[in-house]
Amino acid sequence: MSHTNALPFPSRSMARDGIPDQAPVLSVNGLTTSFYTASGTVHAVRDVSFDLYKRQRLAIVGESGSGKSALAMSLVGLVPPPGRIVGGSVKLGGTELVGLDDAGISKIRGRDIGLVFQDPMAALDPLKTIGTQFVETIRVHQDVSAKVARRMACELLAEVGVNDPGRRIADYPHQYSGGMRQRVLIAMAIANDPAVVIADEPTTALDVTTQAQVLDLLAKICDERGNALVMITHNLGIVEELCDSVNVMYAGRFVESSSTRSLFGAPAHPYSKALLDCVIDPATAKRGALPAIPGSPPDLSVDEPGCPFVSRCPIGRDELRCATERPEARTLAGGAVVRCHFASDTPGDAA
Amino acid sequence: MISTIFKRLGVALATVFGASIFAFILLRKIPGDPARAIAGDAATDDAIAALRKSMGLDDNLFVQYGNYMGSLLRGDFGFSYSTGNSVGSLLAQRLPATIELGLLSVIIAIVAAVLAASIAVYSRRRWPDRLLRIASSLAMGSPPFWIALLALLVLSIQLGIFPGPEGRLSPGTLRPPNVTGMFTVDALLAGQWGTFANAGWHLILPATIIALGPFAFLSRLYRNQLRGTLRETFVTVAQSHGLRRFPVYSRHVAPHGLLALLPAASLLFADLLAGSLLVEKVFGWPGIGSMTADAIIQKDFAVVQAVLLLAAILYVVVSLVADLIMTAADPRTRVGAR
Ligand SMILES: Nc1ncnc2c1ncn2[C@@H]1O[C@H](COP(=O)(O)OP(=O)(O)OP(=O)(O)O)[C@@H](O)[C@H]1O
Ligand code: SF4
Ligand SMILES: [Mg+2]
Repeated sequence: MSHTNALPFPSRSMARDGIPDQAPVLSVNGLTTSFYTASGTVHAVRDVSFDLYKRQRLAIVGESGSGKSALAMSLVGLVPPPGRIVGGSVKLGGTELVGLDDAGISKIRGRDIGLVFQDPMAALDPLKTIGTQFVETIRVHQDVSAKVARRMACELLAEVGVNDPGRRIADYPHQYSGGMRQRVLIAMAIANDPAVVIADEPTTALDVTTQAQVLDLLAKICDERGNALVMITHNLGIVEELCDSVNVMYAGRFVESSSTRSLFGAPAHPYSKALLDCVIDPATAKRGALPAIPGSPPDLSVDEPGCPFVSRCPIGRDELRCATERPEARTLAGGAVVRCHFASDTPGDAA
Repeated sequence: MISTIFKRLGVALATVFGASIFAFILLRKIPGDPARAIAGDAATDDAIAALRKSMGLDDNLFVQYGNYMGSLLRGDFGFSYSTGNSVGSLLAQRLPATIELGLLSVIIAIVAAVLAASIAVYSRRRWPDRLLRIASSLAMGSPPFWIALLALLVLSIQLGIFPGPEGRLSPGTLRPPNVTGMFTVDALLAGQWGTFANAGWHLILPATIIALGPFAFLSRLYRNQLRGTLRETFVTVAQSHGLRRFPVYSRHVAPHGLLALLPAASLLFADLLAGSLLVEKVFGWPGIGSMTADAIIQKDFAVVQAVLLLAAILYVVVSLVADLIMTAADPRTRVGAR
């Protein structure tokens, strides 16, 4: 399942160093999304920026509630109310996506950016056959007859490993197992050949063996088609195995962005360190879940002046600067971009 | 699925049987002697005793029930003392008027509820939803009888927009040939446009008033179902595939709302019956409702008993059919997992 070696895309750090050999397919700048709830404004995504290149496999990791799903939904303008994008930009090629109307963004969804959701059991309309939903998905973007669309759907279903697609296409979602449904959803997400595929914890609802199969499939398909893949996950094992760059998200911000190799070799941010230290604990590693690190994440409805990690940080606890001044993004010598006053990629320097 | 149908049929039969016993006992246990009510205050005790005997009221309840069921099975619904007709012929004569009124009420209630709730949910503004909430609260909270009187007073008598309480047709209007007994349908079949318009004009006000309660109930149900469905993941997924707002709504949201309306059909039916009782009376509508209202006042228990039984049977049939449609329409119950 290892694709980590010799992937034909520019790494994050190369891009940062100013030698990308191509323009990014997706360019996110200062993206900020908030939920306006009765009990206050939840700043779920704060000033997130990143570039995504063709064939890149980018991971976004972070504990529950850190804003990963809110970010994914912001990219395609599907933030559920009471949330909305407050600022920033999402550029696909030359097109600005933030602020597009329903007609404009609908043309992008599915055709340029495909989404794979977390819960395959709830992601299909229980009253419609797989075929109806699949044909609909294809015909939204492609001017083909229902018959042709059905044939295309069957081919895609076969590609994701559905046996006897000609018969199974007439079945309803409840007649599929969870793993099969997730395969169907992957097939639908790539049906219109989007340049970017975003998978938001696509396997958390599945059993471990199925998880591996589905992720493998997703990575393989994106590879074959040259799609960029954004993989949102709790599972650091998957990140190390499948992705080439990682963004660690904490309290709505990317606190560390670097290549997988550099992150797993020498994490720069204290939060990344804490995460990786826990993975060494075999119990957590086996479950594949993101380890729980002591303390609790900050209240996202408060915009604190200092570093959001300060109450849990072994370094920052005693530093006045961490409590009063918010760390801005800095690029370290090794190429990682980190939000921490004391981070350094020279091991032993920060601590 | 077959066993489900048989189970439901069994329950249906038991319900009707229970209703027949209930109607039978209830009407024999209410205070007041039906024989005296029929014979009048001036009748001698002897005359009343004779009448009681002829009505079988002196037999014990089991014998009475046995006789009652026996005649029912022969198609004999008893005799209406207050009108001097057999209950069977009364029913046959009055049923079409009530069916016509009831059907129109159902159509008005469902169409209005679905339209209003769809607009309320689909609109990006808030006021349509607020308006619907206020309207359905009002419709739910006001007794149909009272609304009927008010509407008659204002819309018919004061403004003259609708006819007065004169029944199904204006005096002197040509009656259509009897095919279904429903004047609008029969008039259409015979090509009598004038009669059709006149019958429709008489129908609209009482039908709308009877529809108010069911409208309130259905519109809330439909609205809440739509709102719930909009939060489902598959709606977001359909959007993520590039479907625009309206197709998502019409193909993936509305069908779930409509499916949720089916189980409400039997409740709706009960609402309609209760509504039509007094509204028919107010509008002088010659249907089952006004007949029943009169029969209750006159203690004409053969009529009330027959109507109760009929209502029970219809109720059971309506819920059974709704259930079967529900089972057939929802693939999760229709086709098993593979
Ligand atoms: N519909 C909503 N209404 C109000 N607040 C919301 C809503 N959706 C998300 N939030 C808030 O936004 C923040 C980020 O949520 P999000 O779902 O993006 O987290 P996540 O990183 O995807 O978590 P998980 O790993 O559990 O999926 C959370 O604090 C959450 O409470
Ligand atoms: S800025 Fe300070 S508190 Fe925040 S992560 Fe760095 S050292 Fe810790
Ligand atoms: Mg999430």
